[in-house]
Amino acid sequence: MSVGSINRRTFTVGAAALTAGAVASPYVRRAGAQGAPIRVGVINSMSGSLAAYSQEGHPAFVYLIDKINAEGGIKSMGGAKIELVMADDTSQPARTATEARRLITEEKVDLLTGSLLSAQMLAISPVLDELQQPCLSVWAGGSKSPFLYTLGYHYDRGYAKSMADFAVFLRDKKGFALKTFTPCYSNYEAGQQTNNFLVDRMKKAGFEVLGEAPLDTKAQDQTPAMIRIRSMKPDLVMGLVTPRDGILMHQARYNLAYHNSIFAGGTGGYSDLTLWRDLSPDIAKAVLTRNLFAMTGFSASANISGMQKIVTELRDVAKLKLIGQSAIQSAQAARVVQRVLEAAGSRDKKALLEGFKKLDIKFGDPDLYLSKPSGLKFADDRLLEDGSAMFVQWMENQSQQVIFPDQFANAQPRAKA
Amino acid sequence: MRPDFYRTLLSPWPWLVLTVGAVMPLLLPNYYLHILTVTLIYAALASAWNIVGGIAGQISLAHSLFVGAGAMLSSALLVKLGVNMWLGMLAAAAVSAVIGALVSFIDYRFRLGHLSFALITLAFAEMAEIYVIGTDFLGGASGLFLPRDTGDITQFQFGGGRGAYWVMLGMTALCILVNLAILTSPLGYNLRSMRDNENAAQAIGVGLLRNKTLAMTISAVLTSIIGTIYARYLTFADPYLLASPVLTIEIVLFATVGGLGSAIGPALGAFLLAPVGEILRGQLGDKLPGLHYFIYGLVVIGVILASPGGVWSFIKSLGRRRS
Repeated sequence: MSVGSINRRTFTVGAAALTAGAVASPYVRRAGAQGAPIRVGVINSMSGSLAAYSQEGHPAFVYLIDKINAEGGIKSMGGAKIELVMADDTSQPARTATEARRLITEEKVDLLTGSLLSAQMLAISPVLDELQQPCLSVWAGGSKSPFLYTLGYHYDRGYAKSMADFAVFLRDKKGFALKTFTPCYSNYEAGQQTNNFLVDRMKKAGFEVLGEAPLDTKAQDQTPAMIRIRSMKPDLVMGLVTPRDGILMHQARYNLAYHNSIFAGGTGGYSDLTLWRDLSPDIAKAVLTRNLFAMTGFSASANISGMQKIVTELRDVAKLKLIGQSAIQSAQAARVVQRVLEAAGSRDKKALLEGFKKLDIKFGDPDLYLSKPSGLKFADDRLLEDGSAMFVQWMENQSQQVIFPDQFANAQPRAKA
Repeated sequence: MRPDFYRTLLSPWPWLVLTVGAVMPLLLPNYYLHILTVTLIYAALASAWNIVGGIAGQISLAHSLFVGAGAMLSSALLVKLGVNMWLGMLAAAAVSAVIGALVSFIDYRFRLGHLSFALITLAFAEMAEIYVIGTDFLGGASGLFLPRDTGDITQFQFGGGRGAYWVMLGMTALCILVNLAILTSPLGYNLRSMRDNENAAQAIGVGLLRNKTLAMTISAVLTSIIGTIYARYLTFADPYLLASPVLTIEIVLFATVGGLGSAIGPALGAFLLAPVGEILRGQLGDKLPGLHYFIYGLVVIGVILASPGGVWSFIKSLGRRRS
C-alpha cells in the first residue's frame, strides 16, 4: 500500500488498531506470565550524600543480575528473566518513599530492593505496609515493616556485638591492656543506635566507659572530637563511623599526632578502600596502619572461598574498578533476590514473603559472599540471624589482614605502637 | 477587612478550584495523589511563610524550626508519652508561637536589617536541627516512627492517602485565606509599609514590635500545624527532612517563583515546581545521576527569567493586557 492510497477509512482502522495495541500491550505482556520478565524495582541513592554506597554497589548488583539472566533466569518460573527498574531517591528518605510508591503502583514491580539505609528503611516502611510490597534492603540496620527484609547489620547483634566481642578478644586473648573506652561515632541515627547497645555491652564486659566523642556529621573538621579524645586518654576508642567522618577523624588524628589509644570500629570510616585515596597515601599509612582495627563484612584476604571468587570475578570479568564492601553486599543482594524468587516460584506477594523466610545460603555455598559462619538466613525480626563481622588491620601496601574471628583470620593483631 | 476580601470569597472561582481539588483523590492513581498531597503541603508552607517573608518582607529562614517543632514535638509527645496528637499539635503550635515572638522581639530590639534577620533566623534553624538530632526525647537522629494510620480521627489519623489529601487541601485553603485576610486588613497595610520603609512606617505610627510579632506568630502557628500533619502523613518524623533548613530554602524558592506578597502566588509557585521536581526525578532518576536536578534548575531559571516578579504577577499582567 502506497502512502497515496491511505484514505480516511484505512487511516481510521489503522489508528484504532494502534491505539488498541498500545492500550492492551501491558495486559498482553502480563498475561504471558511465564515468559514475562520479573520486574524488580531498585531504589538507590545515585546522587546526594549517600551516593557512595550505591555508586559502588549498583554495578556489582547489575552484573550479577545479568549473569543470573544469562544462566537461564529464574528456573522455578520457567526461566523468567529479571528486569530491573531503577530509581534514584537522591539520598532523601522522604523521596525513597515516593519512589517506592511510584515503582509499586505505576511500574508494577514484583519485588523491591535497593541500598536503603536505616533512615530510608523507616521512611519506606509505611508505604510497604500500605501496598503490601515485599522488599529487600541491602543496608538497613532494622526493619519496621513485616514486608521488609534486610542484609544490613543489626545495631545490637551486628555492629555492637561484633565490636564488643573484638574488644574482649583483644583484651583477654591477645593481652592488650584495655580498661577504659570512649565511644566515638558518627552522630546520625545508626551511629547513635549502635552506640547505645555498644556502651551497654562494653560495661557488661568490664570496660570503664569514659565520656563520649560523637562526630558531627556536618562538620568540616573533626579536630575538636579528637582533642576531646586526647584529653580523656582512653585505652580504646570505638564506634560506628561513616566514610566521610572517618576521613576527617583520621585527618585530625594525623594532625594532632595522637596515637595513645587503640582505634577500632566500623564500617566505612575504618575499612573503606577509598580512605587511602581521600586521605592521601602518606597520611593513610601513618594513621591506618598504626593502632587501628577496622570492622568489615568483607575483605579480599579473608579465608572465605565464595568471597574470594566473587572479588576475582568482579575485578577480572565485570571489570569493576571499585570493589569494596558495598560491591560485595550488593552482589550478595542479587543472589538473595535470585534465591527468594526461586523459592517463591511465582510473583505472588505472599509467596515472595515465604521465599524470604525459606532463604538459607549455607557457609561454603558458592553464592555466599559475606563473612557469615552460620550462613545467610533471616531471623524472625527479618534481619540476618548471623550478624557477625570481621576485623581487619591495614597493611602499608593498602591491603588488609583479617585478624578476627579466628575462623577467617590470616594474621595476628599488630601490637600497640 | 476591605470589601476585596468578601468579593474574592464570594467569587465562584475559589469554590470551583476547591471543588475540582476535592474530587481529585477519586480520579488520581496512588502515586500522583501522593505527589499532589506533597504539593499541597509545600503550597501551604509557602503561603504560611509568605505572611512574614512576602507581606512583611522579612526573609525568615527559621521556618524549618516551626515545621520541626510541629512534626517532632507532637510526634515525641505521642510516641514517648502517649499524648493525643491533637493536643501535641496544639502544644507544638504554642511553642512555635513563643519562639516566633522571641525571634520578632530580637529583630525589633536590635533593629536587624534584612540580611542580618535572614542570617539570624538561619542560625536559629541550624541550632534547632542540631538540638533535635541530639535530643533522645525528640527521636534524635533516628527520628520517630508513628503508629500506623487507621483512620481514627480522634487520634489525628485521617485514613491514609485520600484523608491526608483532603486535610491538606483544607489547610492550604486556610493558609491562602489567612494571607488574603491579612492583605485586606490594617495588619496587611502595616506590614507592607514596614516592608517598604520601616522608619517611615514607624514615623506614621505603625507599631513595629506588635505587627512583626503578630505576623511571625500567625506564620509560625500555621507552619507548625502543617508540620504535624506532614509527620502524620509520612508516618515517620524524619529530623533530616522536617527540621532541616533545606526545607526552608525550598519554601522560599516556591514563594519567590510564585510571587512574593500576594495571597495566591506562593501556593502557585509550589504547584508549578513541586510536581515538576518529583516527576523529573521519577522519569530521569535511572538515567545520569543528578540529571533531574540539572533540568529542574533550568526550569527554575527559565520561570524566573520569564516572570521576574513572580508567576502570579505575570499572569495578572497578561490579564490586564487582554482587558
